[in-house]
This record gives sequence, C-alpha cells and structure tokens, in this order.
Amino acid sequence: MNKNHIIGVFDDEDTLMAALIEAKGKGFKIGEVYTPYPVHEVIEAMGHKTRFTLAAFIYGFLGAAGVLAFMYYTAVIDWPVNYGGKPTNAFPSFIVVTIVITILTVTLASLFTFSWRAKIYPGKAYILPDVRSTDDKFVLIFDKSELAKGEGNIESILRSKGAVEVYEKELEPQI
Amino acid sequence: MYKTEVRGPLILGDKNYRQISSDIIAPIDQPIPTWWKAVFGVSMLATLIGVIAIYKTVSEGIGTWGVNNSVGWGWEIINFVWWIGIGHAGTAFSIFLLILRQKWRTSINRAAEAMTVVAVGCAALFPALHMGRVWLAFFIFPYPNTRGSLWVNFNSPLFWDFIAISAYLLISASFWYFGMVPDFATIRDKTTSKIKKAVYGFFAFGWTGSSREWLRYEALSYVLGGIAAVLVVSVHSIVSTDFAVSVIPGWHTTVFPPYFVVGAIFSGFAMVMTLMIIIRKIYKFQDYVTDSHLNAIAKILIFISLIMGTAYSTEIFMAWYSGSQYEMFTFFKNRITGDYTFQFWAMVVCNAFIPQLFWFKKVRQNLTIAFIISLLINVGMWYERFNILITSLSKDYLPSSWVTYSPTWVEIGIYIGTLGMFVAGVLLFFKYIPMIAISEVKSILKVTSLNKNEKTNASHE
Repeated sequence: MNKNHIIGVFDDEDTLMAALIEAKGKGFKIGEVYTPYPVHEVIEAMGHKTRFTLAAFIYGFLGAAGVLAFMYYTAVIDWPVNYGGKPTNAFPSFIVVTIVITILTVTLASLFTFSWRAKIYPGKAYILPDVRSTDDKFVLIFDKSELAKGEGNIESILRSKGAVEVYEKELEPQI
Repeated sequence: MYKTEVRGPLILGDKNYRQISSDIIAPIDQPIPTWWKAVFGVSMLATLIGVIAIYKTVSEGIGTWGVNNSVGWGWEIINFVWWIGIGHAGTAFSIFLLILRQKWRTSINRAAEAMTVVAVGCAALFPALHMGRVWLAFFIFPYPNTRGSLWVNFNSPLFWDFIAISAYLLISASFWYFGMVPDFATIRDKTTSKIKKAVYGFFAFGWTGSSREWLRYEALSYVLGGIAAVLVVSVHSIVSTDFAVSVIPGWHTTVFPPYFVVGAIFSGFAMVMTLMIIIRKIYKFQDYVTDSHLNAIAKILIFISLIMGTAYSTEIFMAWYSGSQYEMFTFFKNRITGDYTFQFWAMVVCNAFIPQLFWFKKVRQNLTIAFIISLLINVGMWYERFNILITSLSKDYLPSSWVTYSPTWVEIGIYIGTLGMFVAGVLLFFKYIPMIAISEVKSILKVTSLNKNEKTNASHE
C-alpha cells in the first residue's frame, strides 16, 4: 500500500497549535487539520478566508428587491384591487412580507452556499484520516509528496510538540 | 473581555472530550426504556384523538366547533398562539444567546430548537384547519393562477401570518439541522452498529471537522444568527397584528406587538425549563445542565414576568385613560370583574405573581417547585390568549350579538392531539438525536469546567 500521508494525532488543542506553528515556521506545507470543535487559532493559522458575509448581504439585497418588485407587480400592475380607497402601492404594509422573505432568502441561500463551498451534502464521499478526530483527537495531516524536507524531520517535530501518535496512511474517500 | 464569577462552571465533573461524546450519545445506544414506551404510547393515543377530531372537522366542516358569528375565533386560535409562543424558545435561546455570546446556551440550545420545530408544527395545524376547506389551503400561495390571476392581499395580517409562520418553521428547522451535522458525524464514527453508522452517516452529509469546514460552519452560524434574530421579534409581532389591526375592544392597542413577543419568550423559556428539568432528571445530565443553567433561566423568567405585569397594567390603564366606554367595559366589566373573572385572574396570578417566587434562592434551587412554576406559567399563558380572544369577541359593541362560547369535543380533541404530537416529537428527539450539542459543549470545556488540567476555573464572561 502506498502510504502517502503523515498523520499526527494530538490530545489537546494547545499541543496541536504548538506543533502547527512549529511545522509551519519550518516551511512544511500543512495538508489539513481536523478538530472535534471549531478552534479559531487553527482556522487563522491555516490562513483560510471566507466571503460568506458578503454573499449573505448580496442574497439579502436581491431577496428584498425581488419581493418588493413582485408585490408591486401583482398589487399595482397586474391586478390592482381597491381596498377601501387605499393606494394600491401600499408600501408600508409591504414591508412586513419583505422582511420575512428576505430573512428566508438569506437563510436558504446561505445554507446552499455552505453546502456547496464546504462540500457538505448527502451521500458525499469524505476523507477522514483518523475517525477519532470527531470525538476527542486533534489531527494534523501532511501530504508526503508536498513535503520538501525529509519525513523523519516532521515526525520528530510532531513528537517533540506532544503528538500522542504519528503514523503514515493512505487516504481514501469513503461513503 | 472581562470575566466574572456570576455563573460558575458550566460543565461539572472531571470531564474530557471523550466522556462528553459518550455521555451525550449514551441514550441513543441504550435500548429503549420502558417509561419511554409507555409515555410514547399515551402520546400516540392523544394523537389518535386529534386525528379523529381533525377527520370530523375536515369531513363535516367548522360547524362541528363551538365557534359562532360573534366568537369566530375559539380554541383553535388560542392554541395556535399558545404553540407559537412556546415555539419562540428555540430562536430566543440559540440565536439571541449566540449573538450575545452567552456560553451557557450550549447545553440547552439543541433541546430548545427541537421543541421549537415541534411546537411550530403543532401551531401551523390550527390556521390550516381554520380555513375550513383545508384542501384549498394552497390558495394562500401567491402564484399565477386561473382565477384572474387574482393575487393574495399583501396588506392582510392573516397573509403576513402565513408567511411568518412558514418562514419561521423552515428557518428554525434548517438552523437546528445544520447544528446537528457535526454531532451526527461523531455518532457515525463512534457507533459499532452498522445500521446506525449508515443512517447517521447519511445525515452527517460527509462531515469531517476539517478546518475549512469549521471556518464556513462558523461563518454560516453567525450569518444565520444575525439575520434570524429578527425573527424572534417579528414572528409574534406579526401574530399580534392579527388582533391589533382589527377594531375589537381590547385588541386595538399599540402595546400588542411587544406584549406578544415578550409573552412568547416567556412561555418558551418556561417550556425550556420544564424540558431541561425532565432531561437532566431522567438522563442524568446534571453535569451539563447544571443548577447554574436553571438558575439563569429562572432569573430571566423573573424579569420577563415583571414585563408581563407591566403590560397587563398598561392595558388596564389605557382602557381607563382612553375614555373609551367599550374599552372600559371589556377590561373592567368583562375581565377584572364579570363572566371571565377566573380566567383573567388565573392569567395575572400565573404570569405576573407566581414567577416572582424565583426571587428566593431556595425556590430557584428546589427543582420540584421550579418545575411546577414553569408549568403554571404555560397555564397562565394559555389563559392570557383565552382572555384576549374570548372576552373581547363574546361581548363587543352590539349587546344583541353577545354570546357565550364553549368548545365542543372536536376542538378539545384537536388540542389534545397537538399535545400528543408534541410529546411524541420530544420523545423521538430524546431517543434519536443528541440532546445536547456535543461539539459546542466541547468548545467551552476549556474555559468553564472543573477539568483538572485547567489552569483556571474562572467562569465565562
């Protein structure tokens, strides 16, 4: 079997962070980090960025404009109804529906964006290097082909920073 | 960020991450207990009564109810508003407390959201049935139709209500579900049963807990938290406009939206307290749902109870101050005194007076009394809706159209049915879904626990 990844297993977020910073400082490319709960330092250290809030704002803007346009079309242009002499473009009372539908649009569109960007959907084939990482272990993986320096070196870094296990494994998607 | 010792540790016992997962998953792996089967049986029986009553309503019509020309809204609308109120706890807990970064929510939000989804489902049943011809319920969707196309009336609070309730149900269900995805993955990876692995694996959507996933997960929860916080205020405000926009004495007041929102959060928090006391007693979750959690809920209930008392007094004051004889009659001759004295004072005592007992530390710490008070609050909230609806409708401007209203067995049956559905839904949640958000509790272990490895036991901000 072609063991193409080095996997470091940690007991604690602090030791994981120490190893992550050390490995990164020495120029090793970190494959991915798996944690049982969100650790903000890890996310920052990995340098990931997201434009989620911008996307949500755009959804909200489009949702609000769309709903208002729809109500204007139905109530003013397509079939105006005279409710006790009130203006057909009853803007203030359109606001209620606009707010609710905007929230709904943002929620649903954000969920689909999340599903698409984070690749979380039913029946997805996922790669989980160590099954204990959804329970109590913090896992750091390195792709051997991307490691410029020797593997022995990275193993000693991980061990010196408190890894409880370091092993090699081939990663295969599972369903 | 400043730190205080107000709340004490939120996770008791010397826990580690593995124990947290095992403790919370335990009820899913254990065989179904006898009490669970017994209560589930009873709730199914209650649901059956509801189904019979609904069959009667749909096959024969609204004539099987006790409502009439004067009291056009009876138990159905009382129960609708009551369930929606209970359903406010989910958003209030998970979203308000999320954006306020209150760490004590982590042990409670999952159950509160589950309760919300089930309660809002129960609530949605009532307006649908109240349409009379429920098979024509799709008329309320604004779609191009062959009737003109005649669109719905966007100025009508009844339409706003439909939009608000359906959006609320969809949003709280999806928020709840996405919160559970990492926990489903934990079950998938921990269980030894092949069936459970396949089922929970499917619902986990391939979650692995990588840093990329967590980044977007966190971003999503804050975006949804921020935007859906509006729903805590909007849903019940919209429900209140069903009443406040009309010209019935006792309804036509501007205090209604805030009064309804606060009442909804009140009954929601009370129901959460009821549920958390049951969960921690039966499943021995005392280490996660600690005394300080319940203490926090009790303190919020005192505060909301004071607001309720203020709202009741405001209404009475305005009835007198407005100089309107109809308002005066409704409040002074038909609520405080008169035919509905009992219901009025039951509301005031249960909502404004009894929760004040929580000022005493002994009462907050005695879970039996706290449990009884939490139930009484929801009894009081039911009477509040009874007061609003029945006292105002039964005696309005024209004495010739004054009537008395009493529910028929069909109306009572539908209510019993929704109670059964609620209990059944909550029981299924107990058995098949982790009752406490595992990953969220793990994330606060370091800051607030009695974990021996910890440098500091200081509580959270």
